[in-house]
Amino acid sequence: MDNIAGQKSSLSIVSNLSVLLLVILWLVPTVGLLVSSFRDRDQIGQSGWWASMFPVEQAYRINPEPEGVQQVDGLYVLEGNVFGEGSGSVAAFGIQAREPSAADVGQTYTRFVVDVTEPDGKVDDIKLELAYPAGDAPVFPDVDEDGNKIMAETAQIDRSLTVMGNGDFSYASAKDIKRAPSVYIMAETPPEFTLINYETILGSAGMDRAFINTLTVTIPATIIPILIAAFAAYALAWMDFAGRGFLVAVVVGLLVVPLQLALVPMLTFHNKVGIGQSFLGIWLAHTGFGLPLAIYLLRNYMVGLPRDIIESAKVDGATDFQVFTKIVLPLSFPALASFAIFQFLWTWNDLLVAKVFLPSNSESWVMTVKIADDLLGSRGGDWGILAAAAFVSIAVPLFVFFAMQKYLVRGLLAGSVK
Amino acid sequence: MMKPLLGTAAVAALVAGGAHAAGHLPFNEGEGAFNWDSLAAIADAYNLEGETITMTGPWTGVEKEKVDIVLNYFEEATGATVNYSGSDSFEQDIVISARSGSAPNIAVFPQPGLAADLAKQGFLTPMPEGTADWVKDNFAAGSSWVDLGTYADPDGNDQLYGMFYRVDLKSLVWYSPTAFDEAGYDIPETMEELKELTDQIVEDGGTPWCIGLGSGAATGWPATDWVEDLMLRTQEPAVYDQWVSNEMKFDDPKVVEAIEEFGYFAKNDAYVQGGAQAVATTDFRDSPNGLFAIPPECYMHRQASFIPAFFPEGTAMGDDADFFYFPAYEGKDLGKPVLGAGTLFGITNPSDATNALIEYFKTPIAHELWMAQGGFLTAHAGVNLDNYADESSKAQGEILQNASTFRFDASDLMPSEIGAGAFWTGMVDYVTGASAGDVATAIQERWDSIQ
Amino acid sequence: MSPVLQGILTILIGVGGCIAYFYGSNLILDKLIFPARNDDHGRNINRATMVRPWLFLFPALFALSLYLIYPVIGSFIRSLYNRSGDTFIGLGNYVQMFSEDGFRTAFLNNVLWALVVPAAATFFGLLVAQLTDRLRWGNIAKSLIFMPMAISFVGASLIWKFVYANDPDIGIINAVRDYFGMAPIDVLQIPFWNNFFLMVILVWIQTGFAMVILSAALRGIPEETVEAAIIDGANPFQIFFKIKVPQIKGTIVVVWTTITILVLKVFDIVYAMTGGNFATEILPSYMMDFMFRDDGRATAVAFVIMLIVLPVMIWNIRQARSEMR
Repeated sequence: MDNIAGQKSSLSIVSNLSVLLLVILWLVPTVGLLVSSFRDRDQIGQSGWWASMFPVEQAYRINPEPEGVQQVDGLYVLEGNVFGEGSGSVAAFGIQAREPSAADVGQTYTRFVVDVTEPDGKVDDIKLELAYPAGDAPVFPDVDEDGNKIMAETAQIDRSLTVMGNGDFSYASAKDIKRAPSVYIMAETPPEFTLINYETILGSAGMDRAFINTLTVTIPATIIPILIAAFAAYALAWMDFAGRGFLVAVVVGLLVVPLQLALVPMLTFHNKVGIGQSFLGIWLAHTGFGLPLAIYLLRNYMVGLPRDIIESAKVDGATDFQVFTKIVLPLSFPALASFAIFQFLWTWNDLLVAKVFLPSNSESWVMTVKIADDLLGSRGGDWGILAAAAFVSIAVPLFVFFAMQKYLVRGLLAGSVK
Repeated sequence: MMKPLLGTAAVAALVAGGAHAAGHLPFNEGEGAFNWDSLAAIADAYNLEGETITMTGPWTGVEKEKVDIVLNYFEEATGATVNYSGSDSFEQDIVISARSGSAPNIAVFPQPGLAADLAKQGFLTPMPEGTADWVKDNFAAGSSWVDLGTYADPDGNDQLYGMFYRVDLKSLVWYSPTAFDEAGYDIPETMEELKELTDQIVEDGGTPWCIGLGSGAATGWPATDWVEDLMLRTQEPAVYDQWVSNEMKFDDPKVVEAIEEFGYFAKNDAYVQGGAQAVATTDFRDSPNGLFAIPPECYMHRQASFIPAFFPEGTAMGDDADFFYFPAYEGKDLGKPVLGAGTLFGITNPSDATNALIEYFKTPIAHELWMAQGGFLTAHAGVNLDNYADESSKAQGEILQNASTFRFDASDLMPSEIGAGAFWTGMVDYVTGASAGDVATAIQERWDSIQ
Repeated sequence: MSPVLQGILTILIGVGGCIAYFYGSNLILDKLIFPARNDDHGRNINRATMVRPWLFLFPALFALSLYLIYPVIGSFIRSLYNRSGDTFIGLGNYVQMFSEDGFRTAFLNNVLWALVVPAAATFFGLLVAQLTDRLRWGNIAKSLIFMPMAISFVGASLIWKFVYANDPDIGIINAVRDYFGMAPIDVLQIPFWNNFFLMVILVWIQTGFAMVILSAALRGIPEETVEAAIIDGANPFQIFFKIKVPQIKGTIVVVWTTITILVLKVFDIVYAMTGGNFATEILPSYMMDFMFRDDGRATAVAFVIMLIVLPVMIWNIRQARSEMR
């Protein structure tokens, strides 16, 4: 086998790389959700989650209080710092929301009212906005956008803003400054993460109740169908009786029944027999809906168990019950474990069945219903909350998977799947 | 389509604060401008110690807190226990529980169409006798509210099944006063001016409108409000009524005209934020955010009175955001039509205590208690308008009163397969390329198939 | 009683009841009804053997008939009646449906889903299972790929909005396009191909399932067959396709079938991502449009769904039959 050793190592690099690639592909969407769950709604809208680690340059509107306005050269002047008590670094600024980065720091941005001469000789006044180094005199262009001649000597300041890199600003206006003026700056926002989404989800009243309700639904709804299905699967795989083939066909056929069909008739039935909307009802429902797949998977697995072990046990006088509990059940452990995981995940994430078979009052809400109908109802656009909710509800299934995985792998190594 | 109306963040904070201060009864009896007498009358008339009334509806979150406070006063007065649970998929839940015989005592319907469906199947109990006369006498434009709550029972006889509690106002355009100021735009008084302003904004290098139709499985409903509003601005109210009842077919040129009028705004890449393609998928809850972006991503957003709940946190009403009436055509002489919607109570499981609760909702105090918490408009004529929590609600109340024509949301009145189905998807098809005529024809075909 | 205690108690009663049934009924059968002693010894064992399968099967059969067979029959009858359920119209609902554009789109999309998703998920699952088989960090890789299985469909739809969103500040696809100076594009609105973008979500979820089952199957292949092939000079690809794949064919069928069935039940993804707009409707979401409104039509759609998977079902039944011989 030495001759293929080189090939093998190159192959192993290839397979390492391709698995890495696949894992990254599979992980990227989830990471996006995870990162987003730590950001608030405004941040999610402002920059992609992949950029969340980096500071973003963002526009702000500052409305400094008009306190200490002085009159200088016929203008009303307000001075201060855009960051107030805090500090920061301004990248650019402007006087209109439309152009928050009209001027660079250290410049003065001024709106002039200036007369222009139109080609036909008519004189009109226009507004002209100019940015120029602070302290310098503005340099007027000769003509405006429409080609009219600008008469620079007539220019009057309407309002003027100077902002320094450290946030010091000076705002001047021809009119008295009574209302807070709007100053727009571009500043870097450091990356920011918050636990507020998780607080909202976990701190909401009744979440603990919902969590317990979910467990109350999920655990029996996982164990009962497996138990029932295991017996049935054994009967269908290893016991001889008339109609066996037909029953297998029926089970396979029932796999495809859309469970929506059964919701209303079954609920009516539950009401008739007095179960109503209750936990007992939802266990039975989950059992009924989960059975075909459980029987199908388990039977397929059990059929593949070595025939001689079972037959020799029977020859030794073991009853079917003993064969089942002592031999088949332990051997089928991997299949049981994998189905248990799937059934658990399915009932855990189920929303539809829970809504139909549990009472609609908040006492019996499971987590999915709580999240979908109560928490998200008024926050549908709030992606941060949605993301956190998704992670809260995935935490337990993931834990279960990682906890069970050890047994799963051990079981898989011991047994054999046909 | 009607969506929950929520108060502004400020009001929510107020309520939260109030709840801390005064427990579950934030307004002290005998204080303020409330009609406390009407509560006392209820307390005298009923002793419901030990009775439980269940109630489900579409109000969740902040709204649930508000309705709970209204109900707390009833519990305090009568000794009954009222369990209200709100669900975002109420429409689905109520059908399931009605069919399975486990319906609550009272259901809060966001759409008359759904209540009518259930009434026809025999799942609703008519309102207590005398309610129709009471509504006629005590609601502004009372008889129209009676008509909206009257449906055919399984035998085809008309009965009053629904009593309205809350009214929503749809014909509003939201904008940022700061942005309008800086750009020097004036509030348009007529549709002609609105269209001029739209062009003006484009000329100035801006984007006039934010329109988002996304709403999960209900995607498309905001467009139905647009079309209804424009229908009222291009046609007589009588034509609108014929459209609702399908006397006038959905593919009538008049309807197609209204749809195309919507397309004038929504299907023009220059007019809408993100271009026409984005309209269909932008979530309606995200779409007003463009108003507050720097630089502004858009300048106007047509949406009902509940939308401030989805504005970014800290948005100050009046400074950062305000609304104006979605104007009518000067050239069409159709007055000032207003589109609205409302939430109504229906009895899904009768009991004496339930009737008592219905009586409570007839009192002014039951309306005032929510008015004072904000985000609530009412047609009840007996309430003290001083109880409106903010100027914004008051101004909306004025629009409601000054309306020369008031019409109920058409899609809420149409059979749910149309008004909450084909109409929605049709509008999405329209903004993504289909012609108005084709869309209207498809919706009419669906309507034909259910008749 | 505290909810925790109540929960634990109910769990004990539910699960305990189940165990008690199987244990008790077998005990009664063996000890009381057909005791394997005295004269009837042999006959009693035979009788017990005849009864026991039904004892094993009873709970399953009972639940299946009640929760699935009864509604299916009831629904089938319902699908032959009109909207209000009072007039028998035979196949009217079916005929009407196939004459509608909306239904035909949903039908064709659904066929596409039923072909593409199981194929892709099984392929990726097999690929990962094989590649990670001898990998040092194989289990970590597998866990990460399995992770989407734990996410609800609605949660998954949300995750993928962060990939597909039109806004380059939210959707990663458009962020990349933006980086290269291309205009943003709404992938969910691209005719026909948008279906595939939705399918990707389900493939992403289901690959983990396929991987877990298939990797167990791969582990189960007897070492000798592989070693023999290596000695014969087969290259790794030949080993995989000629030796391994044929041996786990049965498992592949199971995985394929299971995913196909899932595909036909999932409506959440389409519902949450596009609401069935932009010609992405599939039958289960189309059915939801009619649920509680026109039950005749809704049930008819359900039977069309079952029709689509019929070939896979027949194949499975055949397979099961041949195993039994």
